[in-house]
Amino acid sequence: MLMPRKVKHRKQQRGRTKGVSKGATSVAYGDYGIQVLEPGWITARQIEAARIAMTRHVRRGGKVWINVFPDKPVTAKPAETRMGSGKGNPEHWVAVVRPGRVVFELSYPDDTIARQALNRAIQKLPIKARIITRVEGFDA
Amino acid sequence: MDQTVVSAIPTRTLGTRPSRRLRNEGKLPGVVYGLGRDPLPVAVDYAELRDALKSEAGLNAILSLSLGDASETVIVRSIQRDPLKRTVTHADFLRVDPEVPIRVKVPIRLIGDGTGVTNFGGMIEQKLFELEVETLPTQIPSAIDADLSMMTLDRRIGVEDLKLPAGVRTAVPGDISVVTPVVSRAAKMAARTAMDAAAAVDGPTGGDEGGAAGDGGETAADAEE
Repeated sequence: MLMPRKVKHRKQQRGRTKGVSKGATSVAYGDYGIQVLEPGWITARQIEAARIAMTRHVRRGGKVWINVFPDKPVTAKPAETRMGSGKGNPEHWVAVVRPGRVVFELSYPDDTIARQALNRAIQKLPIKARIITRVEGFDA
Repeated sequence: MDQTVVSAIPTRTLGTRPSRRLRNEGKLPGVVYGLGRDPLPVAVDYAELRDALKSEAGLNAILSLSLGDASETVIVRSIQRDPLKRTVTHADFLRVDPEVPIRVKVPIRLIGDGTGVTNFGGMIEQKLFELEVETLPTQIPSAIDADLSMMTLDRRIGVEDLKLPAGVRTAVPGDISVVTPVVSRAAKMAARTAMDAAAAVDGPTGGDEGGAAGDGGETAADAEE
């Protein structure tokens, strides 16, 4: 699973996710992309699950790009613990995404199979997302 | 020079809200600049501009912006899109002089079949989707072709392999890859397994030594897995 090798601070505050993504809003590397439509956190497990779902469906002849990295630690307190005694321990890592962000890209020669693979990956994500293609010309 | 005329309003109020009002009226805010003259904020008709850019030249079509009494020969330099609706929200127009070369990005079009790669378990990956070229505004090609039929598993297509039309040149280094062959690990493993299987079939006819080689191949395949 994806996680940072080294971080400056072990624990972070949650923060707020406002507005739309300011970059990575179009397909840059492959032919198709998954664009998220809501703000949210995508965990490293969800990214890995989506990647596996996609690569297993396309089998050979496809290439996957992951455009997000889970660099935000999420802490949790152990079960049946009384409140207090400070912040919990880092449990997992998430990537913060805003609407419009293209989180995965895929290159595959067959349109139908590529869309099926991307749909399987979308099912693994905790937020609404859609499939987009590379923009050529004025109309998207 | 074949130019499509697009009517534009030469003055518009700047700012987020006036621009949003313009978009709601079916207009597109933009700016005209270039040739050492002052930039000019304009508003063009969205549908008219979209139709003008649907020609073979695509986004690099030469336009004649009709600004009331005056007229400007321009080309679309860049467009901004809404990340979710994906509609165009703003356009930059560059003034062009038919006698002065300009730099534009031209899409790269893949032609031919890449059977030299795909028939051998490889896949074709396009690395470069548009190429920046320098040419006269009248000679901008609609696309630059990359011929996939010249590709093999060991042969990629670089910028140096692209055939540029006369009067068109590029400053992009020739060793930059445009299309590369990619062989996946699964394909490599399948090819090795097939080779091992072929060696095993040939083994019994080749005598004891051949049989030993076949066994060794299977062991290698097992080790790979």
